[in-house]
Parts: sequence; C-alpha cells; structure tokens
Amino acid sequence: MKAIKLIKLEWFLAALIAITLLNTFLGEQFSSTTLVCILIALTVTYKGFIVIDHFMELKHANKNLRFLMKCYFVIFPSLIIVSAFY
Amino acid sequence: MSSHLVEVDSAKRFNDMKTPPINPSLGIFPKSWSEESAGRIPGNIPIWVGILSELTEFALFFVAYFIAKFYYPDIFSQGPQNLHTSLGVANTIVLLTSSYFMAKAMSFIRINDKVKCEGYLWLAFSCGCIYLIIKTWEFHWNTLQGFSANTNEFFTVYYYMTFNHFIHVGWASCAILWVIFRLRRGAYSAQENSGLEALAVYWHMIDLMWILIFPLVYVLR
Repeated sequence: MKAIKLIKLEWFLAALIAITLLNTFLGEQFSSTTLVCILIALTVTYKGFIVIDHFMELKHANKNLRFLMKCYFVIFPSLIIVSAFY
Repeated sequence: MSSHLVEVDSAKRFNDMKTPPINPSLGIFPKSWSEESAGRIPGNIPIWVGILSELTEFALFFVAYFIAKFYYPDIFSQGPQNLHTSLGVANTIVLLTSSYFMAKAMSFIRINDKVKCEGYLWLAFSCGCIYLIIKTWEFHWNTLQGFSANTNEFFTVYYYMTFNHFIHVGWASCAILWVIFRLRRGAYSAQENSGLEALAVYWHMIDLMWILIFPLVYVLR
C-alpha cells in the first residue's frame, strides 16, 4: 500500500511537469486566444487540486480546509478565463 | 497519617493550579468545524492561520494583476514576451520537485525512517536554493535587458509578485534547516511529527502560489 502511494506520488510529479511544459508550449506557440486561456486555466486548477489532495494530503483530512484551498484554485483560474474576454 | 494525606492533597491541588486542564475548543465555532467532525488538520492550527493569511496576501496580488491587466491589456500582452521563459519553466519544475521531496520526507517519517526523511529534506532544501539562484539570475538578466519595476505596469506587478514569492521561498528554506536540526535532535517520530508536517504544508502552499504566478506572468499573453 505504501509502495503504491510512493509510485502514485511519482506519477503525480510527472503529470505536473508535463502540464507545465504543455502550458508553456501553448503560451509560446499560440497567441492567447480564448481557447488557450481556458485550457491554461483548467490545467492550473488541475495542478492545484493534485498538490492540495496528494502532496498536502488534504484529500482525507479536514474538509473545511480542503474546501477553502480548492475554492482558491477555482476562483483565480476562473479570473484567467474572464480576463481572456478583456 | 492524616497530615500526610493533607500534604498529598494540597500538593495535588497545587499541581492542578499550575497546569489547568486545557480546553481544546474555544466554544465559539460551530461544532461542524471541529476536528472530530471535519477531519484531521495536517500540521497544526497556527500554521494554517499563517497559510490562510499568506493566501489572502497573494490573493490581493492576483486581484491587482487582473485589475491592471484590464486597464493595460497591451502592456500585459507584450510583458511576458520580454521575460526569460525558460528560467520560469525551470523554477516551476524545481518547485514541483521540491514539493515531491517534501511529500516523500513525510512518508518516511511516518515509518520512522529518519535517515531517508532527512535525505529528502536536504533535497527539498537544495531545490529551494536552486530556485533562489535561478530567480536571482533572472532578476539580474532583466536588469541587463533594461527592465525594472518602474518599466511599466506589467513589470511592477511582476516584481511585486515574484519578489514576494522569492522571500517566502527564502524563509521556508531556512525553516527546512531548522526542521532538519530538530529531526536530528529526535523531535520527530512516526508518532509525533506535527512540526515537520506543518513545514510540509507551508512548503506546498508556496508551491501552489507559484503554480498560479507562473501562467500569469510567463504564459498568458
């Protein structure tokens, strides 16, 4: 069980790095269209959720803290989408 | 015999006065917020007060960013193109990896493997130092290109956010050294590791803030 958890952590790290590189590629290759902004905002939310649930270990911890942290990673990525319409 | 009992009784009362029973609840919050019903608090309550305060501080920076971007869309569209994106990507990978090392350190203290726990803490500390070196180099590179906090609104927000984050990584790296010192003194074990866990959640919070800062200043155009 412990070994599975450690392997999971490595997978999550690989996913986080891959998403970072994807975001950079999107930003470098395409002008910030609405679609690109939405994709980046969604991936930022996903990255935040991974760190909150699996690195901070809030998934099975205090539900209020988890809710607050997740709200943060919904509100600000949402503002990225809103800013695409400026 | 009777005087001996009186002495014992008075000594007990004196000790009771010195260490009054601790009331874990202030009784001012709803019961649903209690640790029993809402779940375990990783680390301790004071570190979460600190984390939520830091999140509020960064939230103000992010709001300032979006307001400035609303008023100066062209400057914010050009701004990221003047930055050294590769250094931003490198720092993101370094911080994500440091979070991974911190999570591994927590895994090993829970099985009382203090040697591996300390090893991963040193790795996390190294990542913090690498981040600080890369960031310093980036600030220097910006200066060589002629950019400063006064260049335009984008660079003002950029320096405000990234320098603040830089300071947080700096003092959290010092905190890792303190935790390593305490670990060596035997302060943490599989049973009691709340101090180490408090540092771990604080470190992850710093990583989370960079996850938001990175796309705002390096990617979105």
